[in-house]
Amino acid sequence: MTRFSGWISGGRSREAAALSPSGRSARGGQPPALCGARPFDSDSPLRRRAAPLGSASRCPSPPPRVSLTPLPPPRPPSGGRLLPPSRRACAGLPALRFPAAVAMSCRPQPGRLAQEAAALAGAVRGALGPRGGRALLVRPTGQAVLTRDGRCLLEALSLEPPTARMMAACACSHRAATGDGAKTFVLLLAGLLQGLRGAAAGGGLRRALRAFEARVLERAVARGLRGHFLSVLAGRRAEAGGLEALLEAYLGGRLGPGERRLLARLCCEYCRRCDPGAAAVPRPRVLRLLGRRFAELHAAVAGLPVESSRVLPGLVLRRDFAAYCPAGGELRAVLVTEPLRPPLSAPGGEFEVSSEGQYGASLRWMARRTEDVMKRLQRGNVKLLLSSVKQDEVVIYYAKLHGVSVVECLSEEEVALVCEITGVTPYTPFGDNTRGEIADAAAATFCRPLLLGSKRCAHVGFTGLHAFRPHCLILCGPVDSVNEQHAAALQGAFTMLQQLFKTVDQREECKGEGESQNEASEVCSWHPSAAQQQLVIENVSCNGDRVSECQLKARRDETETQIVDPGLQGSENPARVQTDLQIPSNPVLHAKELSVATEGIGSSGGIQKPHAKGKQPSGVHESCKSDSLVDNQKNYSTAVFAARNASAVTACERLDVGKDLEKTSCNIVPCKHEESCVSIAQNYSSSLIEAGSVLPVGGYFEILLHYYIRYYAKQFQQSEVTFISNVVADALLSIPKSLYRTTEQNSFTKFYLKAINALRKNQPLPMNEKGLELVYCKYQLVISVLHCATELLSIDLIIGIKRPLKKIEDCDSEDDF
Amino acid sequence: MSRLEAKKPPLFISEPLTRDTLSQSLSLLSGILKSCYGPAGRLKHLHNGVGGYVCTTSQSSAILGHLSVSHPVLRVLMASVQNHISRFSDCGLFTAILCCSLIENFKSLNIASCTVIKISKHLLSLCMDYLKSEACGCRVSVDFSSVETLLCLVRSVLTSKPACMLNKPEVDHLTMLILKAFMFTIPCCVETNAVLGKCLIVPVKGRRVVDSTVLPGLLIETTEIQLAEPLTIKRTCSSMIKIALFSVSMSGDLFNPEEGTITVHHGISLEMSELNQLLNVGKQLINDEVGLVVCQKVIHPSLKQYLKENHVITVDRAGLSLMEPMSRMTGSKPIASIRSLSPGCYGSLKDVCIESFASKHFVHLIPNDTVVCSLMLCNRNETAWDELKRICETAEHVLQLTIKEPLALLGGGCTETHLASYIRQKSYSLSTSSFKEIDCSRTQYQLVADGFCRSLESVACSLNHDDGEILTDMFYGHCWFVPSGFSSVSNWSDVVSKCGCGINGNTENLNWRLLQGQFGCPIAQGCPKEPSVKFADFLTLDCFAAKCNGLQVALETANLILDLSYVIEDQN
Repeated sequence: MTRFSGWISGGRSREAAALSPSGRSARGGQPPALCGARPFDSDSPLRRRAAPLGSASRCPSPPPRVSLTPLPPPRPPSGGRLLPPSRRACAGLPALRFPAAVAMSCRPQPGRLAQEAAALAGAVRGALGPRGGRALLVRPTGQAVLTRDGRCLLEALSLEPPTARMMAACACSHRAATGDGAKTFVLLLAGLLQGLRGAAAGGGLRRALRAFEARVLERAVARGLRGHFLSVLAGRRAEAGGLEALLEAYLGGRLGPGERRLLARLCCEYCRRCDPGAAAVPRPRVLRLLGRRFAELHAAVAGLPVESSRVLPGLVLRRDFAAYCPAGGELRAVLVTEPLRPPLSAPGGEFEVSSEGQYGASLRWMARRTEDVMKRLQRGNVKLLLSSVKQDEVVIYYAKLHGVSVVECLSEEEVALVCEITGVTPYTPFGDNTRGEIADAAAATFCRPLLLGSKRCAHVGFTGLHAFRPHCLILCGPVDSVNEQHAAALQGAFTMLQQLFKTVDQREECKGEGESQNEASEVCSWHPSAAQQQLVIENVSCNGDRVSECQLKARRDETETQIVDPGLQGSENPARVQTDLQIPSNPVLHAKELSVATEGIGSSGGIQKPHAKGKQPSGVHESCKSDSLVDNQKNYSTAVFAARNASAVTACERLDVGKDLEKTSCNIVPCKHEESCVSIAQNYSSSLIEAGSVLPVGGYFEILLHYYIRYYAKQFQQSEVTFISNVVADALLSIPKSLYRTTEQNSFTKFYLKAINALRKNQPLPMNEKGLELVYCKYQLVISVLHCATELLSIDLIIGIKRPLKKIEDCDSEDDF
Repeated sequence: MSRLEAKKPPLFISEPLTRDTLSQSLSLLSGILKSCYGPAGRLKHLHNGVGGYVCTTSQSSAILGHLSVSHPVLRVLMASVQNHISRFSDCGLFTAILCCSLIENFKSLNIASCTVIKISKHLLSLCMDYLKSEACGCRVSVDFSSVETLLCLVRSVLTSKPACMLNKPEVDHLTMLILKAFMFTIPCCVETNAVLGKCLIVPVKGRRVVDSTVLPGLLIETTEIQLAEPLTIKRTCSSMIKIALFSVSMSGDLFNPEEGTITVHHGISLEMSELNQLLNVGKQLINDEVGLVVCQKVIHPSLKQYLKENHVITVDRAGLSLMEPMSRMTGSKPIASIRSLSPGCYGSLKDVCIESFASKHFVHLIPNDTVVCSLMLCNRNETAWDELKRICETAEHVLQLTIKEPLALLGGGCTETHLASYIRQKSYSLSTSSFKEIDCSRTQYQLVADGFCRSLESVACSLNHDDGEILTDMFYGHCWFVPSGFSSVSNWSDVVSKCGCGINGNTENLNWRLLQGQFGCPIAQGCPKEPSVKFADFLTLDCFAAKCNGLQVALETANLILDLSYVIEDQN
């Protein structure tokens, strides 16, 4: 057992010196003990520092005892801090008074970065691929979490060195965007940094990396790799059973060997039944709904074997019926979000009782009012009342009398889901049309109680809107943590499947930009393409989602009138704004820029950045107005407008706007982007990776890319780029190496030689795995790793700040994962 | 400024299965559980060392619930077994012992864990297919038209829990009672969606077990002496008793205040107005010929008096737990408002009488359709009563599971040894294509299959707590126990009389062999046979659904634990 202490996560106070990334001060000039690729080997020196594990190790003498309740931890003196006395004495002093603080600002070295990345890779390698094992994470609360997800693993390590934290954050953000690849990210990054160890960091390396990406990598993909792609979407080379192959390969990386096939089949069935009209893969619209609402669309039962998992039609609401009246056949359901029994005195109000008769009459009136509502429901053939609030006993009583079943205390998410899949809005019984008919009721085919384990739930067969047929996935497993693992994996699978519809476009060259713009583009340069793909989906499935075209037009008109209003415009040039509007630039980029800007140490730098991009500073009153626009309307184009104008607002407000914008752009991208981005010049010719492109799983992508990078790098004259190409090509091999690490029969060398020989002779590749993986995710992974490495190698100085921990975390949200 | 605390680094343990601490803890846990197993299991005395509640038990639900294990891997195991118990009530020890044993056996195999998991999954599917097939030799179908098999099932549950210290007449009596109570809960007219009724257990401590009894309908405890005198109850024309069930408080207290304020002018008494309303309700109840008023909460004394004068029996403070069965039994709807009484809310009863048991008085509500019954469970002291109650609930649950799936498995270790011999035989006759599908070699498969069979057999072996030998026969694959002291007998047929479940007698030469401590078990020719004729009257039977689930859960949990390659423990 090894403590992750000292250099990768050691106690902040105890081993502060060890945090210095140079590694000089920690152990008297020695490099950190945990270096190299296998940090957790049994002969590692840190291994001897055995920490107590459970109680059994505390009493090694026989007989060992299982049933020890752990002793309560020693309590700190009340009000005292858990800090060493020396620290406590000078906790409030400025940072520069500490010698340690000086030592904490240091230059990162490529060698140090490589060691950190290698240690991270060692920590996640065991969980990689179909033969990897899972990790049991024990939370401070004692809760056990089973996972093979790279993101959870990295989070659980609670890393200390800032650069390692940055690596983990990059891996996690890649995982969040594509649903896959956190472990592979770390491995590839480790391989890359290992290769770049000897290279001189600086502008030259950065330029070479960028040149490699633009010239070698894209060429390798476009001219070499593309020929090997298969497609799971209907088209030229449609793969039969592609969805199951994709899911099985994906789940193979995050579930145990006994469960993945079963769950892949179950997930396929679930997709098929939720979207029966779709061809091979559910439509993106359905996938997005599944991914977003999966928490409510599944239910878990502990104590049963995984085999008992199944798909049920309709929705399972995890509440018991407050009143259940059996009803056969079609029925209608009504959603309410307020108490149906009118209150005697409203909050803050006062009810004055002037006579006993009046009091009795009021109570009788209230009872009659409640009864009237129920009568109306009964007349409207409503058999089910869904309520987000707890209803009074009287309401339940009348519901029972009138044959209406009631489910109350629904969560906000469940209410939102019901609204979304049925298209109803909550019913207000005491509105204007108290006499009117109940128009907004959801149709359902059945409504019955369902016993899930020992919990009684309401099972409602909503018919659903459009293409989506609501179904519920019942996940069974021996323990809750298994079910959680399965649910997380399936949710990730839905995110991954959404990437199926994305394409990567070709760009010939990155234009040289100024240094400040580079910074911004490096942070997020793969986002634009992501947003772009989102848009493709929207175009495919856009049927009046949220922002319709006419709505957009109306908003445009509105903004245009604002622009021509001379009183408000101030110094702004109307013509320019109009062009901005008609060619909306990339919202993600702006949002990112804004947040990056505010993430910086000083707020002044943040304000300057948008200015540097040549935008006109606008008046304060105007930006206030546009702020309110953002608040009132969730319109994308006005939001962009607002974000542009917001440059004069204070930094924190700006961040909010930016975040809003980011959200908006994630959910709704209403119109096709023009390539008018100022900071990223991209010339699109044809798509590099088409939607639905897949490759067989098991290292084929890496081997192929390795081969073609080598091949195209040979044609290249520039020595720096050739060097980078070789490094990347070798780093790519580290992934299949890790995948084949634990096998007995087919070793990596055999596989590699076979594949390369086949490629040289132009023969089909030897296939021994059935699973498929998405090329889009893989390609994005390589790009993200390249960017992360570039960013890491561009860091000039790491400065430790002696501030409360809280404050530091607020400042660099990049590390906050 | 928030307080700074030194954050402890997480404890990173790679390859947790190879650690000594885990194997020690695991073998200790498995030792504790094995010693509890079966009718001859040893009792465990659980106490906290400070005083207070003491529990003497051999039941998995009690032991696992009270034991706190610090090793995170074992916590997963225990959670899994406890989840199984909460679903099925029975076969908890079986699941736990099998799981521990599987982990120990598979761990020692030196085969990559993912291969072990794939093979064991395949073995499990063989087992489950066999258990669910008609050809299965270790299951019997339960005939609900005769009570014999059901009695065996209940008796097996009762005898497998020795902590109750029941003697034979007591076991017989309780078996009958439990079965009777279960029969009461089956609705008379079965529609498409039949729902079983409920058996409520009423505690009576300090009496003998044979004083226990089962009554149709509900018992509501009451302290009032007035009910001790003979009852005169108003009946409707069809000699039924009309019952009104109130879920709202009838104490005359004011309406529960909401967020706003209520201002009352001087001289106005809202309490009076409430009481008047209550009396109006009483008047209406009398007009509607209601004979019995039951309130979940409190009834105002004036109303009580008023109703009593009009020969209406009142029972208040019935409690929430009784409301649902009472509403189901009488067909009444709980009334939640004292301002509107709908005649459709009333229910009906056949009779009401007063019962007295051991200084306690109960109002006994006798329904027309008995889907609800009360089991008056007596035992000598508190601890023994708790144990007895757990057993009765288990037996009840087992019967409910059996009515869903009318099958039972042979108990007494016979199912385990039978399955083991089936798997041994099957694993030798498997085709090469199946190995290719699992991606393993024949040797690997047989090694894992052997570990699996040994784990199953070790569960059967843990039924024996003396030093006697355990045998299995080559014909039926059943389990036979040799009494201690006969270990050096040359001919086993001299010392065994019947097998563990009691279905086979020592009638033919069955070619016995020792179950434990033998290298290379001989493989039976062909599948183990199904016994043709039943030897004993009383078979030992296990619940089919619970045992199947236990087998699956044990293997899945073992696989889960074998698959662990890290434990990361946050120590903050």
